[in-house]
Amino acid sequence: MKRLLIFAIALIAVTLVFQTSPAQAYLDPGTGSILLQMLLGGVAGGLVVFKLYWTRIKGWFSPGAKSSDDGQGAGDT
Amino acid sequence: MTAATKSGIDPGSFRDPAGQVLHLDNKVFRTVTDHGWTTFSRVWEQDLIADLAAEGMVLPLQRVNPEAAGNPENTAHLFETEKLPFISWPFEWSFSMLKSAALLHLDVHLKALARDFTLSDASAYNIQFRGARPVFIDHLSFRPYVDGEIWAGHLQFCEQFINPLVLAAKAGVMPNAWYRGTQEGLPTADISRLIPLRHKFSWSVFMHIFLQARLDRTAVSGSGDVDTGAMSKARLPKSSLVNMLKGLRSWIAGLQPPSGATVWQNYAGDNSYASSEASEKVRLVGEMVAEVKPGLLLDLGCNSGDYSFAALEAGAGQVVGFDVDFGALEAAFARSQARDLKFFPLYFDAANPSPDQGWAQGERIGFAARAKGDALLALAFIHHLAIGKNIPLLRLLNWLMDRAPEGIIEFVPKEDPMVQRLLVLREDIFDSYSFETFITVIGSRADIVSDVQISESGRRLVRYSRRLGAD
Repeated sequence: MKRLLIFAIALIAVTLVFQTSPAQAYLDPGTGSILLQMLLGGVAGGLVVFKLYWTRIKGWFSPGAKSSDDGQGAGDT
Repeated sequence: MTAATKSGIDPGSFRDPAGQVLHLDNKVFRTVTDHGWTTFSRVWEQDLIADLAAEGMVLPLQRVNPEAAGNPENTAHLFETEKLPFISWPFEWSFSMLKSAALLHLDVHLKALARDFTLSDASAYNIQFRGARPVFIDHLSFRPYVDGEIWAGHLQFCEQFINPLVLAAKAGVMPNAWYRGTQEGLPTADISRLIPLRHKFSWSVFMHIFLQARLDRTAVSGSGDVDTGAMSKARLPKSSLVNMLKGLRSWIAGLQPPSGATVWQNYAGDNSYASSEASEKVRLVGEMVAEVKPGLLLDLGCNSGDYSFAALEAGAGQVVGFDVDFGALEAAFARSQARDLKFFPLYFDAANPSPDQGWAQGERIGFAARAKGDALLALAFIHHLAIGKNIPLLRLLNWLMDRAPEGIIEFVPKEDPMVQRLLVLREDIFDSYSFETFITVIGSRADIVSDVQISESGRRLVRYSRRLGAD
């Protein structure tokens, strides 16, 4: 229920604040860079980043769930 | 864009679909496609480039008839730009050169934003040096700013400017070899791991390196729930972008090279050469330059630039120095900047010069093809390679004479204290290292214009002039 609530808030914030102005795709800006700029860009961007970590925080309290962040898998997709 | 550049489309300019760089008859053109013109026309018509060129920040551009270059393919519009005497790559720059290029990039971006334009990327390869001054060369990077758009070049700016500078300034590690290896700069995640913890409390290091790497890792590793839909619509208010660029500018302006790269700051007045020897060298360099009148002179082993500056005073058009010592590079560049000279030095290990690299090994031309000048100086140079790196004199001298048709090469005899220092911990296996071999090799390919002994130890300055057909 809580998860749904957070997701809804984030989604509404995203739809309201992020008007469409797609980056012109000559260059891949990079995920980390976009998230950082969203943080710097204001509250709504901050929520998206918060949500990124919320999943993990939740994971700590869910029985059976294990964080996949072992420091080994960065970027090797 | 060097004397050695072949006519045709520049092999390094394929990435931009809006147009390319074209070399023809010793001139440099920019082609613009129909598609490219839809955005570039707005940049051109608002005189953004003309205004920034007038301030010396951007290479000047003139519109010409496509017929001027024989109506090249995919060219709706044609422009001619200035031909630079020597193209260099960011991984060849000293700390202070990369820093001044970074500051110029930010200044150009800020000036563009003030007029509602922006830059589509943040590549360090978009900057070149005219003498000691950096200049922005990629005109097609300019495009109209879309309100609220993020800075698409941020990651590239970090990898190609910030990360190498921070590695040097905060960890004391010179980035050049690594930068050359990756070509596209240093990965933020790697720099984040290497920077000592205490520096991560700096706002800029924390934001642009540590936090960016962290966010990227979390999103890409899949442990987070990244909202790609939201990311593709990310917005950054213009005021935030301008503040970010200004913040980076003042932070980068305060970065200093590691102390190891500054110990030679006083080198010019503190070297081991007797002053009469130095003044004789200056005289011989001046004499050669006055007669040869080189547009481009290459000074291998330029040290802090004494003889490069002597060549400029005698009338050389532009001098590019090469040295392996970061301290000497810092000193040479600082002196050139202070006097606004037509000189810049490049990091260069003669035993392992920059190779042809990038896509199809044609994107970033290596030293051998680029380093072709009108005249050469190789003073106090050959013993470092012949004795220090076991390179046979025959091959070394021919490689030197490949650089330019005219030049001066200094012979440093085995008895010289500098050579003795190289030999002190090793066996002397250099039977063929003699003045006889030296002068025979040069004489086999060039005329000996002069041969002057300049020190009691037997150092000699030999001026050569390559015979026709011997290049």
